[in-house]
Amino acid sequence: MQKQIIKYSFFVITIGLFLFSCTKEIDFKQADDFKISPVMESSLIFFDEPASRFFVNNTQTISIVDSIEIALFNNKFIVDNLIKADFVFEATNSINKTFQVRVDLINDTGQQLHTFTILALPSTDGSDVVSDHVEEFEGDTLVALKSTTKLVFTLSLLAGGSIDPTTPGRIKLRSKAIFYLNIDEDI
Amino acid sequence: MRPLILFFTVISCCFSFSQNKQILYGFSDIPQSLLLNPGGKVKNDWYFGIPLLSHIHARVGITGSTVYDIFANDGIDFNTKLQNAVYSMKSKDFFSGNQQLEIFSGGFSFGSSYEKNEYLSFGLYQELDFIAYFPKDLAVLALEGNQNNINRPFRANHLSVAAEAISVLHLGYNKKVNDHFTFGVRGKIYSSIVNVNSTKNQGRFITVPGQNNFYDHIFNLDLELKTSGLASLTDDESDSTVRDLTKRVLFGGNLGLGFDIGFTRQLNEQWSWDASVLDIGFISHTKDVENYKIEGDLVYEGVNPIFPDSGNSQTAEAYWNEIEDNFEEIFKVDTTTAKYTTWRPIKLNTSLNYAFGEKQYESCNCSSDENGYLNSVGLQLFAMTRPKQPLFAVTAYYYRRLFNGLQVKATYTIDSYSANNIGLGMSANFGALNFYIMADNFLELKNIYSAQSVSLQLGFNYIFNKNED
Repeated sequence: MQKQIIKYSFFVITIGLFLFSCTKEIDFKQADDFKISPVMESSLIFFDEPASRFFVNNTQTISIVDSIEIALFNNKFIVDNLIKADFVFEATNSINKTFQVRVDLINDTGQQLHTFTILALPSTDGSDVVSDHVEEFEGDTLVALKSTTKLVFTLSLLAGGSIDPTTPGRIKLRSKAIFYLNIDEDI
Repeated sequence: MRPLILFFTVISCCFSFSQNKQILYGFSDIPQSLLLNPGGKVKNDWYFGIPLLSHIHARVGITGSTVYDIFANDGIDFNTKLQNAVYSMKSKDFFSGNQQLEIFSGGFSFGSSYEKNEYLSFGLYQELDFIAYFPKDLAVLALEGNQNNINRPFRANHLSVAAEAISVLHLGYNKKVNDHFTFGVRGKIYSSIVNVNSTKNQGRFITVPGQNNFYDHIFNLDLELKTSGLASLTDDESDSTVRDLTKRVLFGGNLGLGFDIGFTRQLNEQWSWDASVLDIGFISHTKDVENYKIEGDLVYEGVNPIFPDSGNSQTAEAYWNEIEDNFEEIFKVDTTTAKYTTWRPIKLNTSLNYAFGEKQYESCNCSSDENGYLNSVGLQLFAMTRPKQPLFAVTAYYYRRLFNGLQVKATYTIDSYSANNIGLGMSANFGALNFYIMADNFLELKNIYSAQSVSLQLGFNYIFNKNED
């Protein structure tokens, strides 16, 4: 009989151990505060050309226009999560002439939403002259960027000197976009 | 994007399992111990498991961070805790899970000689097995972006997931050859209910300083997710889903074959050594297969809008379209229905045991058979194949027969999850009704959320013993 009592007590204690384990305070609602802020950088546009490239068919080319259609900025993920963008340009000029790159942001109805220009200052002695430009997209300009479907690039030679096939030097442009993201949507 | 990181770091954190049943292994008073070693000692004459209640097993756990690390209500910013968890974990950390439910089981001894020395056992059980490694590089990319990670490769092989739900019909044969040697084999037919497998991902994404522009972004991807049994479940919304699943449990799924082997060697009266290898087998996935593949190489350095370099006639638009096409091509998901084969995770168990403390009978001092010892201690080793590297666990145990029909076992285990895992188990007989329950990580029960793993097994059987006394 005593054995039986011990046996059943042991049984009950063991079951109790399994059932009444403790927990410390846990708050799963904290997941609602979830937020990550990755910063992505991506190469944008570039070129690297000798001065002679601007002398075509015995004439000096004043400006070159070209465009690309781009869907990236209208992407739902970008529209929802992009809080700021910087376009960083670095122009390196060794030609004794000022260049200007104008970038137009166009929406799908052909309307110009935003425009900015990058100046590449001239080099008087053939050495590299580096000109930097950072175009920030925040607030209204960010809204404009998110509606942009087409980018138009216009490269122009500004006044000063003249170019012929023997003009020395190069014009070079490098650029990148920095996307500041803030991802906190609900699951 | 949020689901990606949150899913892997948080939700999966809660569910992690391995298949070590260190308390049940060698606990020969419980008939289900034969599933861990078909060549184990058999103590009963015959038994049957109470249907659906004879073996319920679940193990949850995690390596690296715990649920408490992330969700503790301690006033620290949630995102800070999440970041700490991401940075402290390694790509070899994993969340893995295992659950088993025995649908029916039974066994009986037979033999031509006076003492029945052969034993047949059989049953059907359902099993869920899941492992997901922590995709560290992807988590860091999602957390930081590439700005501060120029020249750092984000490796796709960090993404490794395997999950399967199967049913297993098995028949085992055990023979006690003599007092020194017992062996057993068990044949298994697997029926896969659902399988998801993405364990051979390769490639990387890296941003490096470029020649023509600030950066070259290099994509080199070879990712594949194989599934079977899933497409039909997600496709149709008909109410036949339950019927479909039931059919798959009863061998309407993708079938496979496997076997277990094991033995027990009685070295002398008190020392014994046993070992088993389980689930040497495969499943061939031919029905309801849907595989997804992303493959390709791409180097992106930006766009040259004014002087496209590839030919004079190409406009910037055409040049850009080509780049866009290349991006679409590399990230295009190819869907195929090619059949595939998966191997079951192979488990190895072995133990060295020492029995002591002879039972004193009131009528005489005549206990000499192996059942005469009240205690045993031993060392067990468990190993299991996993996609990235095998899992190991070492267990020391103490086993004690308290009374007739009440046995207990305590274990101390060192494994990938923790170095101080204490487990307790007991088996009690009330007449012919046997009940057993076992759980581990008792040291962590004071705060279950900070436990790296917790397992629970319990079940009810009707057992008819050889030596009813």
